[in-house]
Amino acid sequence: MSEAATAPAALTSDDAAPRRTGPNALAWLILPIALLFALFFVLPISLMLLMSVLTGNPMFEQGVRFTPENYIRFASDSYNWEVLWITIRIGLSTTLAALLLGYPLAHLMARVHSRTGHALLLIAVLAPMLTGIVVRTFAWMAILSDTGVVNATLMRFGLIDRPLPLLNSETGIVIGLTHIYIPYMVLTLNGVISRIDERLEQAATNLGAHPLRAFWEVTLPLSVPGILAGSLLVFALSISAYVTPLLMGGFQFMTLPLLIYQQISASFNIGFAAALGIILLVISLALVIGYNRVLGLLSGDRDLT
Amino acid sequence: MTHSRFNAGRRRFLSSAAAAGAMTLGSPLVLRAQNSELNITGWGGKWGEVFEATVGPMFEKEYNCKIVRDTSFPFVPKLQASSRRNPIYDVVHSNQNAQAAAVVMGLVEEKLDPTNIPNMAELYDYATSDTINGVCMFTSAIGMGYRKDLVKEVPTSWTDLWKEEYADKRGAYVIPINSLGQAFLTMAASIYGSGAKDLDAAYEALEKLKPIKLVDFTGAMEKMILSGEVELCVIHDSGVLRYYDTPNEAAFCAPKEGVLALEQVLNITPGTQKRELAEAYINFMLSPEIQKTMAEAVWYSPANKNVVLSDVYQERLLTTPEKVAQLKQVDWMWYNANKDAIDMRVNRIFRA
Repeated sequence: MSEAATAPAALTSDDAAPRRTGPNALAWLILPIALLFALFFVLPISLMLLMSVLTGNPMFEQGVRFTPENYIRFASDSYNWEVLWITIRIGLSTTLAALLLGYPLAHLMARVHSRTGHALLLIAVLAPMLTGIVVRTFAWMAILSDTGVVNATLMRFGLIDRPLPLLNSETGIVIGLTHIYIPYMVLTLNGVISRIDERLEQAATNLGAHPLRAFWEVTLPLSVPGILAGSLLVFALSISAYVTPLLMGGFQFMTLPLLIYQQISASFNIGFAAALGIILLVISLALVIGYNRVLGLLSGDRDLT
Repeated sequence: MTHSRFNAGRRRFLSSAAAAGAMTLGSPLVLRAQNSELNITGWGGKWGEVFEATVGPMFEKEYNCKIVRDTSFPFVPKLQASSRRNPIYDVVHSNQNAQAAAVVMGLVEEKLDPTNIPNMAELYDYATSDTINGVCMFTSAIGMGYRKDLVKEVPTSWTDLWKEEYADKRGAYVIPINSLGQAFLTMAASIYGSGAKDLDAAYEALEKLKPIKLVDFTGAMEKMILSGEVELCVIHDSGVLRYYDTPNEAAFCAPKEGVLALEQVLNITPGTQKRELAEAYINFMLSPEIQKTMAEAVWYSPANKNVVLSDVYQERLLTTPEKVAQLKQVDWMWYNANKDAIDMRVNRIFRA
């Protein structure tokens, strides 16, 4: 947004010309963060984009030229599309699971009146985040493996003859990712739900609506921005996850991050890996744009971009 | 004045003589007063512990230098991103599959000059064979690991892996990212096809290995065989033998068709500014004393044929010409040239 658009009307002159021609002194304060953003985000992404359309590294090699080869390679092999679909499918399943489990918890956190109760719930949500992703994933591996707690218990009670394939499965990956990313969903939803006026629900029930209907028609629609924001976060994190799909999937579920690592670490094909990285980035960007559109529609004509 | 001039001349003469003496002692390889850093790659774990505690300091003291080790795998991508004229590493220690890929990109030398590394004359032929770039200092034997308490019969052939009784109780590696898995693919091609390069036969054989448990690195396979998650698996001898001192039910089998070589290769980067020191380091690592120390620390078979290990190691590792003759080396140049096509195919075979 421009400075004029954000400035209160009383501060602008009648002919709408700005009083000062130079930038606001406060604007200089964003310079360090802008430089940081350029150095650690714009530059690496630009280099990645460049590497994805070059035949080699121009710093060290002669005769490097532009080529769409890496993108053609991706598009021409159905396996790559399969990998893309698995990545998106795991992202969608994780987002749905995190939403279904996280919403009731976030609602409870927002509506609990006791400060201690709220603090305890907040600690419960945040505590797992204090442990590393690798540790949490290994914990799930110990629980879900063929000789793990779940299978061993079920077999001891004679409920199953063979271990259930909990680990090395898509279910295992989704369980692991949901556990890791659910705090992002809960915290985002909690922020939105706690700002919804409780009296709106009370008014609906006073007018005869069943509490469930009051929730369905009042609270839920008002919490849509939180659902969208939380889902966007969890989805973006899930499709770019590396450790959990690697350890929980038993290498039978190839996702884009795994394929990228494979290309860099074992095939040493930086160009193709860069192209895969750009594809992953484009998916995430498409999501953000879509999210803003949906939010814009839900919020009327207000400019949200 | 005359007296002091004489003294100065004598001092100059003595210091020159001392320098000449030091050079003679330091020959034939390198001046022993380099006082510089040698950047190398290497493994962590037990290898890293023993290297840091004994081998590294010995070299540093002898050559008055500092060894800077990078143990964060993978190394080749870092070399790719580094200046060719002043590369990030002077000496690259890796498996041969990575060396072969690095040679094609001009990141390491194709061959080393044995006249500058005298200990290369003491090595078994496999250590400097056509399939090796640089020089192989140790090898492991890739064969099969099995659980003594869980298998009905002790395995003797690679074909045992395909037996129905091991369905989902057998283990192998993720072929695109693990050189043991890649070597195993060539063995499957040899056994079920016309030779190590018969890829169609290998694919068909791999298809029949499902269901199977796959891991990305050898440490994960060691964990699986020790815990009983797998009863029979592809593994290198070091991965089983290193638990020799702890009670466990895992054992190693060298299949009758032969074992595959998992070579630990040293090579020099063409742009290194410290070639003499790098060659001295490689010569040092190939010396019988260091070969024995490291072989007994991590259960690697020494490439130097003059090394005599303690009995327990001598019996179990590839320490005689007869045992070394069982080794089959992979043509990694050929493999890497076909790697993209192989990866895409095996990724499809082992997808859920």
